[in-house]
Amino acid sequence: MVALATRRADAAAVPRRRKWRRDWTPDLLLAPALIAVAAVMGFPLVYLVYMSLHKWALIGYAAPEFVGVANFTALLDDDRFTGSLWRTLYFTALGLVTNLPAGLGIALLLNREFFGRSVLRALLIFPMVATPVAMGLVWVVMLDPSLGIVRYLFGLVGIANPPLWLSDTDWVVPTLVAVDGWMWTPMVALICSAGLASLPTEPFEAAIVDGASAWQRFRYLTLPLLMPILLVAAMLRLMDLLKVIDIVYVMTGGGPAHASETINLYNYLVALSYGKIGYGAAVALVLFALVLAATLGLVRLRSAS
Amino acid sequence: MRRGARLRRAGRAIAAWIVVLGLMLPFLWMVLGSFKTARDFLSYPPVWVFVPTLDNYAQVFADNAFARYVLNSTIVAAGSTGIGLLLGIPAAYAMARWRRTAVGIVLLAARMAPGIAFLIPLFIACLELHLVGGYTSLIASHLIFTLPLAVWMMVGFIEAVPVELEQAALIDGCSVPGALLRVTVPLTRQGIAATAILAFIASWNNFLFALVLSNDNTKTLPVAVLGYIGYNSIQWGALMAAASVITLPVLALALCVQRFIVRGLVSGAVTG
Repeated sequence: MVALATRRADAAAVPRRRKWRRDWTPDLLLAPALIAVAAVMGFPLVYLVYMSLHKWALIGYAAPEFVGVANFTALLDDDRFTGSLWRTLYFTALGLVTNLPAGLGIALLLNREFFGRSVLRALLIFPMVATPVAMGLVWVVMLDPSLGIVRYLFGLVGIANPPLWLSDTDWVVPTLVAVDGWMWTPMVALICSAGLASLPTEPFEAAIVDGASAWQRFRYLTLPLLMPILLVAAMLRLMDLLKVIDIVYVMTGGGPAHASETINLYNYLVALSYGKIGYGAAVALVLFALVLAATLGLVRLRSAS
Repeated sequence: MRRGARLRRAGRAIAAWIVVLGLMLPFLWMVLGSFKTARDFLSYPPVWVFVPTLDNYAQVFADNAFARYVLNSTIVAAGSTGIGLLLGIPAAYAMARWRRTAVGIVLLAARMAPGIAFLIPLFIACLELHLVGGYTSLIASHLIFTLPLAVWMMVGFIEAVPVELEQAALIDGCSVPGALLRVTVPLTRQGIAATAILAFIASWNNFLFALVLSNDNTKTLPVAVLGYIGYNSIQWGALMAAASVITLPVLALALCVQRFIVRGLVSGAVTG
């Protein structure tokens, strides 16, 4: 009985002592950053959820009115919203299927040592760090249907009457995907390039000894070994393609006739141009959920493979 | 066989040169255009060789406001980078040495959230607090990406410092913040410089937050450059000159931190 009591006392003493000696140093080091995160990120997200449940107009003096999930149900009947949603998915799909192979292709070209390789690698970082708004406007000039250099270059290869690019409702999304791809395919290339450099050499040597062709080595060795890296690149591109807005805003403003209005741009217009704060908050939450779901889906794909 | 292999290698090298130089065309066209007169700009087929003029740059800088926008961009980028590092380095140190990974997940969510999700509530809050149009709101909003970037980058750099060096300092009577300041920070100064440059670029390039949270006096360059595109008149040459002034410093800075660019982008340089 006494022994038991002591043991119980010991058991009680251990956590208490541990609590007493709890090292607060890391918490104190983290605290300033966490307070900042709570202020500029945590609070806005909580406020966003609150807003999304209200009818809330920026213009006028009407007080916000609680409406439950009415903003979310209204989204289903909003053709401009559903249109922008499908357009964003189209934009994203088109971006993924072009950027990843192109990036991998560039990485393969840069895989072997040759004269000037490091120079080319350095140049490749330019499109992704250059100010997107400025480069978007440069592309507007280049894509000008009558005077642009792009039309001229197409003329050189025998296409005298290329599409009107940003002015054509069918071509505007592919054109924007191309400009976005110009910015970000080099990033995919550099990620793949780092991946290729880290691959083991033994399987490739063995394959050459066994007489595997270059294509077979690529198909059965490079591609599967590189898959984890490719999925990382795909994940990054996926997140940013779904959120595309800057270049669309400056290059087309969503036009012509809403033909390039992505969900993020529509969100901006609804909330901050038209002043429908509550409704815009609902769109923002849907977009956030979309990015989250898509990314988690890809992560699962990654752990499955 | 040997000749075939050598030819294939040469072909690959030439293809790489053509592809990468082709990707540089917009930069070439931007810089060329910034030196063109209106007439050269409007000639078709486009001219590659022409008598350069500095008029476009003169026009851009004659506009007093443009110098103001350069200053605004610099203030906001320097402020959000400085605060990001100041808060981020101790946090990264705690994460690297005490394995506080939960924080990482929070910051990852920031990488995924669209900028607009933070922007709508921040705009309303800033309206209430009369902060719209001030540097405070701009710098605070840019912390949304500079802080996670600083933390993610610095965790990697700090983990590369042997923990024994810090332990030695602790045994010699140094406090933990002292060890961080006197041992870890000096040893990671290259990493800190790289992180600072990446955060600066991210803030310099940001458009959406500045578009909403600035006013005519605090406008940053990406917002200001839109001014050269009117509804029916585009000032081509001035637009290209302004775009060059905005972009070329970023490219120069980026070259200094070439090795870390991709890591920086992965850890959150972009928020749409």
